Amino acid sequence: MIDSAPAIATFGLGKRYPSSDRYAVKDLNLNILPGEIYGFLGPNGAGKSTTIRLLMNFIQPTEGHALVSNLNVVSQSPAVKKAVGYLAGEVALYNKMTGAQFLEYMAALQPPKHRRYQRDLARLFRLDLNMKIGQLSRGNRQKIGLIQALMHEPEVLILDEPTAGLDPLMQEVFFEMVRAGKKQGATFFISSHNLSEVQKMCDRVGFIRDGKLIAEQTIVELASQALQTYNISFADATPLAELRAIPTARLKINTPRHVTVRIKGDLKPLFLVLARHKVIGLGREEANLEEEFLRFYRGGKR
Amino acid sequence: MKHIIRWNFWQRRWSVFWWCLGITAFVSLELGVYPSVKSQAAQLNEALSHLPESVRALIGGSSDLFSPVGYLNSRLFYLLLPLLLSILIIGLGSSLIAREETDGTIELLLGRPVSRGKLLLAKALAGLLVSAVVVLVSAISITALVKLVGLVVPLPRILFAVLLAALLALFFGMIAFCLAAMGAAGRGASIGVASLVGLGSYIIASLESVVDWLSWPAKILPYHYYNPTEVLNGFYAWKVASIFTIAILILGVISWLSFRRRDINV
Repeated sequence: MIDSAPAIATFGLGKRYPSSDRYAVKDLNLNILPGEIYGFLGPNGAGKSTTIRLLMNFIQPTEGHALVSNLNVVSQSPAVKKAVGYLAGEVALYNKMTGAQFLEYMAALQPPKHRRYQRDLARLFRLDLNMKIGQLSRGNRQKIGLIQALMHEPEVLILDEPTAGLDPLMQEVFFEMVRAGKKQGATFFISSHNLSEVQKMCDRVGFIRDGKLIAEQTIVELASQALQTYNISFADATPLAELRAIPTARLKINTPRHVTVRIKGDLKPLFLVLARHKVIGLGREEANLEEEFLRFYRGGKR
Repeated sequence: MKHIIRWNFWQRRWSVFWWCLGITAFVSLELGVYPSVKSQAAQLNEALSHLPESVRALIGGSSDLFSPVGYLNSRLFYLLLPLLLSILIIGLGSSLIAREETDGTIELLLGRPVSRGKLLLAKALAGLLVSAVVVLVSAISITALVKLVGLVVPLPRILFAVLLAALLALFFGMIAFCLAAMGAAGRGASIGVASLVGLGSYIIASLESVVDWLSWPAKILPYHYYNPTEVLNGFYAWKVASIFTIAILILGVISWLSFRRRDINV
């Protein structure tokens, strides 16, 4: 896999709009290998969608260039699209069409390898294709958006916030599809602002902020460095000195016997302290919000 | 590409139906009363000759409005037909690309292996198809009405006049299409500019015979070369038709050059 050409590669890619003096994306260098699931994380307005729209040749780069499946995204755009399945951040569909008519139209523009796959996807997502798209809920419209991106079984999937609007059950269905796609050798480029979601499915994650890629990590590295939050209640007074001695932990004292500990990386020092005291309550928060993570990652003060 | 053309036509099928019905109604209304005015043509022409020249200029510039050629020119070909067709085609020109762009659905099409050139061509052909159907129905209804009410003008001349009116409207529609393809102006602005060029061109060209200083600007406007009286009298203005066609094609090329590498604004 290492020797093969990257599925997505960008070289100093930049975009500055004429109306703005700042870069929406600046000096972006990505190298995503075939079969990799790459999460692209950043807060709103960080440049995720701009990057995706550059890769899809909807907007023109002002600097650098990008390759998808070893094809230049600008000069070889139609050939790139043959290899790509795309989902926009805010899915826009033809409201007057039924789901079936819409997918038929999309299939006519890009014939799927297996016609049955489209029906299978609709069944997995529990979607009624006979209803007019305009009458569907946000979640069901998102499902149609996902089906049109996946149905021709592309080599590369570029998905902007794919789980937006999906309920947790359908999110799981989607994660399962991503895993199945990876088994078939597909590459995924998934933008999100939700770190915990990306952790569930990605091999590697890139963090973008103010148009710049500030870090890239494998999911294993990420797990070892992720910020975790524990709410701890002690039977006696909180052993503050011992907890403060843990260099990777930050403390918030709620009451004399109840603290919130945010810790990065190895949990052993924390649990060694807890083992020496009588703990009557221990709860773990799932609040791995990426904004919070980024601040921690960059060593910023909270 | 054919799928994009088919869907765009299908999307507008009811609009095409109502346009065909509307134009047929207008044509019937305008030409249907000819038998009653025919008998009084001499008196009406006499009354017309007392009107100021500027007023006559706006309704076709002829002093003979009630002969078959004069009537067809003033009531239909000079203003009504090109005006109706321009409204239709300017609306199409502005919406074919711009509406998909505003709605965001253009990304669905450009996310498929469809080049921007092909998308633009498919959109233009869809617009041409819609226009062709309405023009064809207009030609059929005019031909039928002309026979019915006894407006004795040879059929090929009438068809050529319809063709010239359609080319003029297509030129204005293509301005809207071109502006929408450039993306600099929104949908509303492209309608506005194309309508302004159309209407301004009509007013300037109509008044150039009365207002001396308008004769120079009139020469660069398409309406100046649009002379249905000439056509109905048997002069087939192939040169004018060719110039209109070339101008439409040039606007098409400008649209392509602008659209192929510009940012899509969703």
